[in-house]
Amino acid sequence: MAMKKKKKKGDAPKLELTPMIDVVFQLLIFFVVTLTEEDINAHLDVFRPAPEQTRPPDEKVEDLVTILVYNQRTLGGEGYSLEGRKVRLAELDRTLSRLASVSTSVSIVIKCTNDSPHQNLVKVLDICAKSGLKNLSVFSM
Amino acid sequence: MKRKRKKGDDAELDMTPMIDVVFQLMIFFVVTMKMEQNENKEIVLEHSPHGPKLEDKGVGAMVIEVDRRGWISVHGAQVDKNRLRELLRDSYQRYGTFPIYIRGDKNTKHEDIRGVMDICASEGIAAISFIAIKKEKRKR
Repeated sequence: MAMKKKKKKGDAPKLELTPMIDVVFQLLIFFVVTLTEEDINAHLDVFRPAPEQTRPPDEKVEDLVTILVYNQRTLGGEGYSLEGRKVRLAELDRTLSRLASVSTSVSIVIKCTNDSPHQNLVKVLDICAKSGLKNLSVFSM
Repeated sequence: MKRKRKKGDDAELDMTPMIDVVFQLMIFFVVTMKMEQNENKEIVLEHSPHGPKLEDKGVGAMVIEVDRRGWISVHGAQVDKNRLRELLRDSYQRYGTFPIYIRGDKNTKHEDIRGVMDICASEGIAAISFIAIKKEKRKR
């Protein structure tokens, strides 16, 4: 009914752009508002030996640095120890960057206790990445 | 300005270029929206400002998510350890070795991460990457 009336009325069948523009603007505003910017992620690559050989090498291999990651709530300190000595993260950073200035192919063995939070491990890996150390193995104990 | 006025008889606004631009913008936003992956938003990642930037995950990459309770999920679906082992074994048999990424919450106990790593290692994949935040988005 309405259509018929309109057809009779209008002489030039011109395309009405206004509603389309309205809708498109609405959609555009919706997408602008809902667009969430993503975080930029980093990847920290490690080597994880199979469980059968989970035991870290006992014999003193040359160029091997052992970092222990533990839970700071139970054992105190900041949660890291280097070659059996509790260290702060900044200290670990200094030591590792000095080490890396000699050679970046040093094997780093990172041992984690079961109750240590994952963030401690990631912090150590970040420091290793900062120094450019690539040869990282993660063991659990 | 003067010339234009002289030329044009009826001063009608030409809509076509505006519509073009708006459509371009729309398409841009639609496409960038699609990029958003189904990842667990509950997981709070630790920061790693010095780590290498994660750009392309590589062919056949698998992201294993471990939340702070130690629950494991792959592609947005929660799995238990046996299922994870099956998944890894299937993919390994089909495609050979593939990159594995672990998205672990910063408060996850290492025990839970270890469980995942042990499964990966025993299925033959020793190279594992952890995902951390390199640069956080600005808060709206």
